[in-house]
Amino acid sequence: MVVYNFKKIRVVPPGKDFVDIILSKTQRKTPTVVHPQYNIHRIRKFYMRKVKFTQTTIHERMSAILEDFPRLEDIHPFYSDLLNVLYDKDHYKLALGQLNTARNLVDALGRDYVRLLKYGDSLFRCKQLKRAALGRMATILKGNSSSLLYLEQVRQHLSRLPNIDPSTRTIILTGFPNVGKSSFMNKVTRAEVDVQPYPFTTKSLFVGHTDYKCLKWQVIDSPGILDHPLEDRNTIEMQSITALAHLRSCVLFLVDVSEHCGYSIKQQVDLFHNIKPLFSGKPILLVLTKIDLVRFEELTQEKKDLLQSVADEVHDMMGLSNITQEGVANVKQAACDKLLEHRVEIKMNKTGKSVEGILSRIHLAQPEKRDHRQRATFIPQSVTDRRNDVMDQAEDGAPSAPKRKTVKEIEDENGGAGVYQHDMKKDYLLKNPDWKYDVIPEIFDGRNIADFIDPEIEKLLDELEKEEEVRLEEPEVNYADDEIYIEEEDEDVYEKIMSKKSIYKQKQQLNRRANNHTILPRKNRPVDLDAIQKELMDRGVDKETLDRVRSRSMTRDASVTTGRGRSLSTTGRSKSTSFERARSVSQQRVVEEREANPVSAKSVLGKRKRSLSTRNRSQSATDKLSGLVDAKQQVAAIKLGHKKQRLLALAAKRGEADRKIPNEMPKHLFSGKRSIGKTDRR
Amino acid sequence: MPQNEHIEQHQRRHGHKPDHWEVQRKKEARVHKNRSKMAQKLFGLKAKLYNKKRYTEKVQMKKTMKMHEQKNTEEKNDDAIPGGAVPVYLLDREGMSRAKILSNTIKQKRKEKAGKWAVPVPKVKALTEDQMFTIVRSGKRKKKVWKRMINKVSFVGENFTRKPPKYERFIRPMALRFKKAHVTHPELKATFQLPIIGVKKNPQSHMYTTLGVITKGSVIEVNVSDLGLVTPTGKVVWGKYAQVTNNPELDGCINAVLLV
Ligand SMILES: Nc1nc2c(ncn2[C@@H]2O[C@H](COP(=O)(O)OP(=O)(O)OP(=O)(O)O)[C@@H](O)[C@H]2O)c(=O)[nH]1
Ligand SMILES: [Mg+2]
Repeated sequence: MVVYNFKKIRVVPPGKDFVDIILSKTQRKTPTVVHPQYNIHRIRKFYMRKVKFTQTTIHERMSAILEDFPRLEDIHPFYSDLLNVLYDKDHYKLALGQLNTARNLVDALGRDYVRLLKYGDSLFRCKQLKRAALGRMATILKGNSSSLLYLEQVRQHLSRLPNIDPSTRTIILTGFPNVGKSSFMNKVTRAEVDVQPYPFTTKSLFVGHTDYKCLKWQVIDSPGILDHPLEDRNTIEMQSITALAHLRSCVLFLVDVSEHCGYSIKQQVDLFHNIKPLFSGKPILLVLTKIDLVRFEELTQEKKDLLQSVADEVHDMMGLSNITQEGVANVKQAACDKLLEHRVEIKMNKTGKSVEGILSRIHLAQPEKRDHRQRATFIPQSVTDRRNDVMDQAEDGAPSAPKRKTVKEIEDENGGAGVYQHDMKKDYLLKNPDWKYDVIPEIFDGRNIADFIDPEIEKLLDELEKEEEVRLEEPEVNYADDEIYIEEEDEDVYEKIMSKKSIYKQKQQLNRRANNHTILPRKNRPVDLDAIQKELMDRGVDKETLDRVRSRSMTRDASVTTGRGRSLSTTGRSKSTSFERARSVSQQRVVEEREANPVSAKSVLGKRKRSLSTRNRSQSATDKLSGLVDAKQQVAAIKLGHKKQRLLALAAKRGEADRKIPNEMPKHLFSGKRSIGKTDRR
Repeated sequence: MPQNEHIEQHQRRHGHKPDHWEVQRKKEARVHKNRSKMAQKLFGLKAKLYNKKRYTEKVQMKKTMKMHEQKNTEEKNDDAIPGGAVPVYLLDREGMSRAKILSNTIKQKRKEKAGKWAVPVPKVKALTEDQMFTIVRSGKRKKKVWKRMINKVSFVGENFTRKPPKYERFIRPMALRFKKAHVTHPELKATFQLPIIGVKKNPQSHMYTTLGVITKGSVIEVNVSDLGLVTPTGKVVWGKYAQVTNNPELDGCINAVLLV
């Protein structure tokens, strides 16, 4: 199935815009810097590239336009005729032809100027030639602006054409203007075609889709046609004629029996006879519209005869009214059935072979019988009753029984949307109908009750209550085995521990919040000896032990630093531990040591230095502003600091993808003699 | 699926947004602001183009305005000058216009006289040899320098055969050979593309004339048989002289004015 997508055609810029697009593209996509001292080959190449680039861009754009627009010979005859009617085939072809010649001209021009550029002997001459070339190309484009404008209009119109598929099941509505074609269309499909009480409301083809027998049907509403020779027909009527002539479809010929459309039945019947050749080989249906105004039976005998003569030809005449909906469904069904029958017939008749072809495609699968039980379809009693009722009424011919009123109807009766509000609660399905109008609060006791809704809640509550009862009956148990149980006397110790813990916790949190920077590793952190001592004492280490430990570490340190021989004799492990300790001891000690033994202290200092420096850094935050007089100066100082830091910070952000010159002065390029051509390789 | 004039249809059915016209009006009123904002921001080529466009627009606008104004002002009508006896104080009114006509005719005559011997491009800039030629080195070691390639556009007759390339002293490259010229008829004010018959005179030098080099100011002979010009004796003119008015080597085409 060929589906024409005329929406895909790309925009055709008007001549002036076209030039702008092309030239700015050239400017963007080709190099822009050239100097007269460049090698002449380079200059020539620079300009040749510009000319060639412009030429190819124009060529591409033009080709795109030429490709996008459909060739009238290649598309379905319906479409090619429609395009002819709407846009005039000659004009269309001429416009495309002109673009084609323009494209060839530009190509030739580009070629010529590139050839001329080969002999350009100065930048000025090359530049002038380029300028001339581009200018002439632009002139050619401007010369075609009328074609471009026309094509753009065609494109816009094409993209809004209805999507008619010439090969599917199609029903075409035709007849005089104002007979009710569009009204019928609106009834059977969801297309919203304009309906007005004056002729030629519909000025072009409209398509809608409807379902019948699980198949999709395409309904085409056409503009009304008048009864005059083909040459006199205008564009609007010609569209209908095109559709009638080229689409294999079922034709509904609508006749307004009430003659409210302004045309007599005689005229309408004449029209039918005149355009009969268009209907040959197609199923036709004569449809009498507006029968709510005048029924067929009420017509005069001669009018009846006229209509009957047509009906005899097409074997079918039906009435419908778009206002009372009478006959609308019937007409649709009849039309669809007729078309379906016709299509099947055509398929069968095409070639004898194809029948088998079709039949072999159909396979009716039948399940094998398992047993002899009857498994009839089950239809509920209520449905059967209802069906019977409907059947009875249909036989009686009485107007259909009062249907169940829909909510929408009720709403309309009571003043429409906004005035009447339907009672939703009426239809609630609850265990107890009395509950329907109970007010359920959304928030109860400050809580959203929706959070607590649980269909199982009753059951769970029951279980919980049972469990509680069981517990109450049981004697009191000792929970010491599985939980921490605290004796009376340990109570205050426990309290102390807990409070201390919480203090630690809070301190930690405060710290974390305050120091929003990288955490120093523990070993680099500055150590406050007094704080350690205090903390240890708090934890319950008594002073004596503390002193003892301290003195021991001191002596050990001294032993390392003073008596080398002895320290060597001790195990390596003890030595290293002593170093660790030494590091954790406060700064003052280093000073002491240095005074005591400057040579030996040095060895410790090497490791100590780091801890010192970190300490300085942490202190500096407070020290920074100490020398400044007032707040103003401080602010200025801070600002200056930030400014100085910025460049450093920027440098720190250098990423992997950034340009990097690993070695800015490679030795091999900056040493040795430079002779000719030895700039980058020596 | 919207089809056909769906936008218009929608507008017909539902109208516009309540403030549509107000918004439209304001937008229109703000146009000049947006325009000036853009004009201030643009620079370089874009600015040049934009300014040129605006300039032409403004000129056009002024012209139309003037035209409207003229419609309203009363124009002096020559026919309205009363005939017959005219009072003295009105006598010299027509004399003025007659004097004007007289002076105009004299000027016209002078111009015509001067035009008889003048050509459209009376003076040309002298070209040096190295602008005219490039030296082509030849010989096995490329040490012979007697060959020249002509740098300018040239006309080469149809039945010209090259000398054997080895001995060819002046090379006229194929790319720079032209066969047609765009010739303007100064009185018809129309331009035609005509085939060149030959180079009559190159003002630079006699040698260039014989070589068929066409530069600005050269006089060429063109085939005007298509124009259907007729001599006073009734013969159809075939060839006519025209002077080149542009630099063909810079423009890639030959523009000439017919000498009549
Ligand atoms: N009483 C009555 N009026 C109808 C019926 N069908 C259509 N009309 C009216 O007839 C007028 C024209 O209807 P349209 O559907 O626009 O007719 P049309 O054939 O599409 O007209 P064009 O598009 O101009 O060719 C409208 O005012 C409708 O309200 C009908 O069955 N009964
Ligand atoms: Mg209609």
